[in-house]
Order: sequence, then structure tokens, then C-alpha cells
Amino acid sequence: MDPALSTDVPTGRAVAYIFDGLTRFTPDAKVVPGLAKSWDVSPDGITYTFHLRSGVKFHDGSPFIGKNVVSTFQRVLDPKTKGGRGWPLYPIKGAEDFAAGKGQTITGLAAPNDTTVVITLKEPFAIFPKLLAMPVTSIIPDNPSPGFGQKPIGTGPWKFVEWRHDDFLKFARNPDYFDGPPKTDSLMARIIPEMSTATAEFEAGNVDILSVPDEAGKSWEADPEKKKLLSSAPALRFWYVAINVTRGPLSDVRVRQALNYAVDVNTILSAVMAGRGSVAAGVVPPTLGGAEASRKGYPHDVAKAKQLLAAAGHPNGLDVELWAATTDQSPRLSQAIQANLAEAGIRAKIVQRDASSVREAARKGASDLYVKEWWADYPDAENFLFPLLYSKNKGPGGNVSFYSNPKFDALIDQAHREQDESKRNALYTQADQLEFNDAPMVYLFFYKDVYAVQPWIHGFTVPAVFNGQRWSDVTISK
Amino acid sequence: MFAFIVRRLLLAIPTLFGVLVVVFLLLYVAPGDPVQEMVGERADPETIARLRKELHLDEPLLKQFTLYTGGVLRGDFGNSYITQRPIIRDIRERFPKTLLLAGSAMLLASVLGITIGVLSSRHPGGWFDRLGLGVAYLGISFPVYWVGLILILVFAVMLRWLPPSGYGGIKYLILPAFALGSRSIAFLARITRSAMLDVLGGDFVRTARAKGLRERAVVIRHALRNALIPIITVLGLDFGYYLTGSILTETIFSWPGLGRYVVNAITRRDLPAIQGSVLFLSVIFVLVNLLTDLAYAKADPRVAYS
Repeated sequence: MDPALSTDVPTGRAVAYIFDGLTRFTPDAKVVPGLAKSWDVSPDGITYTFHLRSGVKFHDGSPFIGKNVVSTFQRVLDPKTKGGRGWPLYPIKGAEDFAAGKGQTITGLAAPNDTTVVITLKEPFAIFPKLLAMPVTSIIPDNPSPGFGQKPIGTGPWKFVEWRHDDFLKFARNPDYFDGPPKTDSLMARIIPEMSTATAEFEAGNVDILSVPDEAGKSWEADPEKKKLLSSAPALRFWYVAINVTRGPLSDVRVRQALNYAVDVNTILSAVMAGRGSVAAGVVPPTLGGAEASRKGYPHDVAKAKQLLAAAGHPNGLDVELWAATTDQSPRLSQAIQANLAEAGIRAKIVQRDASSVREAARKGASDLYVKEWWADYPDAENFLFPLLYSKNKGPGGNVSFYSNPKFDALIDQAHREQDESKRNALYTQADQLEFNDAPMVYLFFYKDVYAVQPWIHGFTVPAVFNGQRWSDVTISK
Repeated sequence: MFAFIVRRLLLAIPTLFGVLVVVFLLLYVAPGDPVQEMVGERADPETIARLRKELHLDEPLLKQFTLYTGGVLRGDFGNSYITQRPIIRDIRERFPKTLLLAGSAMLLASVLGITIGVLSSRHPGGWFDRLGLGVAYLGISFPVYWVGLILILVFAVMLRWLPPSGYGGIKYLILPAFALGSRSIAFLARITRSAMLDVLGGDFVRTARAKGLRERAVVIRHALRNALIPIITVLGLDFGYYLTGSILTETIFSWPGLGRYVVNAITRRDLPAIQGSVLFLSVIFVLVNLLTDLAYAKADPRVAYS
């Protein structure tokens, strides 16, 4: 639970309980002040002045001051940390050089006094405050001990109590939390790898809140007693099939559109995912600014798919490899997609490997089609458009479609600099429309999180972004 | 005896070195990239290259192997790529839990399995023998994850007698130990029965009965003792197997043991964690085999080691 080393969702959640960033997300994915009570942006969008809260204390009693922000960010970027998760800080001037071992300090980062931090960016980047609410940018005390991740100390609503590896995490209420202490005394996160077991724990009443597995979704919806306990919200999670646009026939936009027409997303969504999600028309989720509500996804139209294939010179269909991991819903999704594609004459061979192998192959550009999920780091259309489709992010950066369109890139660059939110959203909409026409992927759906909540739990809302729920407002009546 | 133990331990060294080489090579050729697992879903090529260099993953194979083996010889198994914790500490924390689970499963299996076997052999074809046969068939046929889930459903969800999962006092131990041991119970019952039937027909058993010994003494002190060799073989093999391979049971019952640690390490390509724990488990397997061999000598004085 060392923020500087956090890369996965479970760690990111725990980090959000213990730590604060300069900003934070609410359960409905708004960015609100965290350790910074406000911030000013210079007219050119380059300089951010953060006004910090005074009187905030870390769980060990030491005061939180501006200097902590500087040393925390340095530690995240320091090559010695071996973190490799420093990109949210790269917009800061000098940060990338520092991460590469060039330079003793981050030139664009300074704490002139205990309650002010001034950050100078390389170039305007309007959504920068959102990146400061990510787990990796959470503020830690100076000079952390070598085992900091095992005994983390933050300023957050929950104090770390115990971590029994692969079993549970235990937290106690921080009575001095600056934003008001949590309403319950303790918080426990159970680590249960087998979903049937987790479901059993909930049914036995040992677990208060459960993220309902897809497998259980349908039967719970059908049971009126259990249905009452369910609570759901659209998540910033996007399932799609990345099409590597550099490989053979897939470089033809007609073939890529044919793939989209061939796949019956509505049926897959209800049959495989128990209806948990909404059909995607573009990469920007409907809950975020920049989404175009009027656009519909590619309809299921086999005749149209065949026609496009024939026009592209494949009247007898074509052969592709469909890569999928062995985890989550990937195997079932890939089988459903394979069956759909076959109807249109596209013979997809499923290549199923463990998640790590599939990811490596896709990043190298060795896969034709790759069924995957993207889980947003921060609630902004940019977090979908930029990593998944910007040309510089090909491969490990997230763009496993190897999509490259200068017009699209230009729109994103412009959006990065645009300070006005509605203008920025308009640019996102344009960019999304552009790539939607180019079809560098098969658009599947935006996932919906479903939680089961025991009747004695109150005040819980399903968070839209994974680290948006900090359990401060939850109460128990038992 | 002492010389035998020393010799066996020395012979274990090449075996373990072989394990080290095989695991290292397998991980080297296996697809998947530890650095990409470290950096997560979004990273730049520079960061990836830098981490690869820091972890010596850009070195030639032989250099990497010497670096790692050198560490192992000094007792340093390295740190986890993901958590940066020393592997040794991770293993030390988890192995006792695996040992507890495997030990309890074995204890349960020997008590139940041998008892059922002995009782079945008393009246072959009788009602208890047939019942025992049925139980054994079930125990051998049902896969452990199925048994585990049924146990959770019945005893934790429906009856609420025991907690469904987790690690804690004896309450938490019963279901996973039973699920893990169910196969051994069945197997031991069958082996014990047939070994007992062989022995019960022997001359010394008739002599013992002729001496006027009580039936209990005949069966337990004379017959069972002589039937022990195949039972010990099964116990030894199963125990070694449980210590190294109770991954399914640990997963179903959220038992924080070494099996789950290894699986997690593999999915995240945490190379030092995989290498360290596989090597450790190999040591355990070699030791259990040695103990089994020593138990033979204890059970049958004709078995001598030199």
C-alpha cells in the first residue's frame, strides 16, 4: 500500500482510505479539494498555485506541510523507488528528466512556504488537478521507513491497523480527519479470491458490502429478496476489442467497420454480462463530459458486414486471431464474438493465454484482435481518448490498436491546452467521432458496477471511479 | 542412520540445483513481462527500459542466472518486484499457514481413513465395508473445489455452524482441512483395507489369536503394524502434495497460505517470488520424502539404512 508503487485497483482503493492527495474524487467522480483547499491557475494555464490546508496531521502526529508534497512527488519519480508509475506527474516541468536520473530536483515543483505549493507545467494541461487525485500522487510523510507499504501512514479518514496478507486489511477511524471523521469505528477489506466464497460470506451475513460477481448477477436480479439489496452505477470501465490497424486486412477501415457490424453487442451484453452495462458508441462513457449522447453504436447488421468485406476485397471472408486473457469475462466474450464474426464469414481463431502473456503480445503488436477492458484512472474523457488512441501511446502506453491519426492527435493536443471545460468537451466529442468512423476497435460496452448491500448498512453509494468511495459517510444499524 | 540422512541431504543438492535451473529457464522462455506487470496499464517505453535495467533483466541469461544463484547461495532470495518485500519474509509468513492446513488435513485423513479401512477389513463385504467403499468412491471422484463449495454451502450458509472462509481459530480450519483431506481419507481407507486383508490372513495373526490375545490387540498391535508400509507411502506422498499444492483449497477458503502466494506471483510475473517459493517448496518435498523413508524403518525393523 505504498502510493508510489500502486498500480492495481485494489491497492488504489486502500490508498484512498489512508491517504489524501492535493485533490480527491467524490463517489460521483467530481474533483474536489483534498489537502489543497483551493488552487489558482495562471492565465496561460502553466502555473498552478495550491493553497494547502493548515493544521492537518499525519496519523503519526507529524504536521502536513508543503515540503511533504515536494518530497512525495520526488519519491514517486525517483529511479531508486523502482515504481514506474510516475506518468501522472510528467506534465510537471523537469519531472521526466528527474525520473530519468537527470537533475537533482524537479524544476517545476516548489513549496515556498508551509501552506503553498507552486507547480509549473511543461505546457498547459487543463485536467492536471484530476491527476493529483490518483493513488500514486497521494501525499506521504517525509523520510518513510523502508517497509512503508506494510505500515502506511497518511492523513486520510482511516488509519492503517493491520494487513494480513491475502486475508484482510483493517483500518480504524481517524478521529482528527480534517473533513470530518468517518461515522463508523473500523473498516475491514476482506480479500476473497473465489467469487462463490465471497457470495457465501455475504449470504452468511459476514460481509456487509459485496461487489456482486457477473456470474451471480442474473440469479440475484431474479430473486426478489436479493434484488432489494442490489445497488448499481455506471462505472468508468470500458470493454472493447482492440483492432490492430497495422496488421494485414485490418488496415482497411471497411474491414474494421465490418467487424463492428458483425458483432451483436446487445445480445452479448445481456447473455454474457447479465445486462450489466450500456452499449458503447465511441470510447467516452456517457457519464463523462464530451460523450455524444445522440450517437448510436454500430448496429448488428450481418449483410452490411459481408458487403463491406466484399468491397474491401474479401468476398470469401478472412481469417483473424482473436486474443483473450483467461481471466474475468474475457473467455466467454471472445467465444460470443467468435460466433458473431463467423456469421459474417470472418473466421476468428481464439488465442487464450494468461493476462500477462496476452498483454505483452498485444503491446508488441502481435495480436490482430484483443478483447480487453480499460479501467479509468481519473474521470475524464481524456483518460479514454488519449491512452487508448493517441499515436504516441502505441504499445505499452495503452494504444494497442496502434491507431495513428494526425487529425485525432491534433484535437487531443488542443484539448490538453484548452482551459474552458465546455470547449474542451467539444474537442473530445469531435475526436471521439473521428475515431468512431475509423473504427480502430470493436466497441462493446461500458460496464455497470453492481454491489450488494446488507440492510443494516446506510449511506453507501456505488462509486463511479474506483477510488471514489472512502466509506466516511457509511453507518451501521444492527 | 545418521550417515544415511547426511547422504540423502547431500544428494538433494543436485536435485535442488536442477529445480533452480529448470524454473529459471522456464520463466525466461515463458511469455509475459514482469516489468509490464509492475508499471500497470499505462507506461512509457523509457520507464520500462529503465526498470528492466535496474532489475538486470536486460542482461544475458547466464549473467542473470549467476546473479540470482549467487544471491541464493548467500541466503538472499531477493525482493518481490511488486511489493519490494524480501521473498524470505513472505514465505516465512505464509508457509506456517499452509503447514497448519496440510497437517490438519493429514491428521483428519489418517484418523478417519485408517479407521474406516481397518473396520472395513474386519468383515469384508459387510455393511460397513460397502458403506466405506461408497464413501471412498465419492471422496476420490469429487474434485476438491466442488467439495469445498458444497461444504461452504451446507455448513456455512445453510446451517451457519462454521465460517465460510478466512484464517483464524479452529473453526476456520475444519472445512478447508476436510475438503483438502477428503481425497486422502478415501484413498487411505482403501489402501488400509487391502493391506489389512493381506496381513490378517497371515500365520502370525492366527498365532496371535491362538495365544488368546484379545481381537483388538490382534488387529491393532499385530496386523495394523504390519500393514503400515503402504499406508506410510500414501501418507508421505499426499502430505508432500498438500504442502506444495493446496492452491485450490486455499483459494476457495481464502486461506492465506503459500499456494495462493505462488499463484499470485505467477500471474504478475514476480520472478523472484516464483523462483524463491518454488525452490522452497522443492526443499520441503525432498524433506518429506526423507521423513517418509525414515518412517519405513521405524514401522518395519527389517528395513535398514546404511
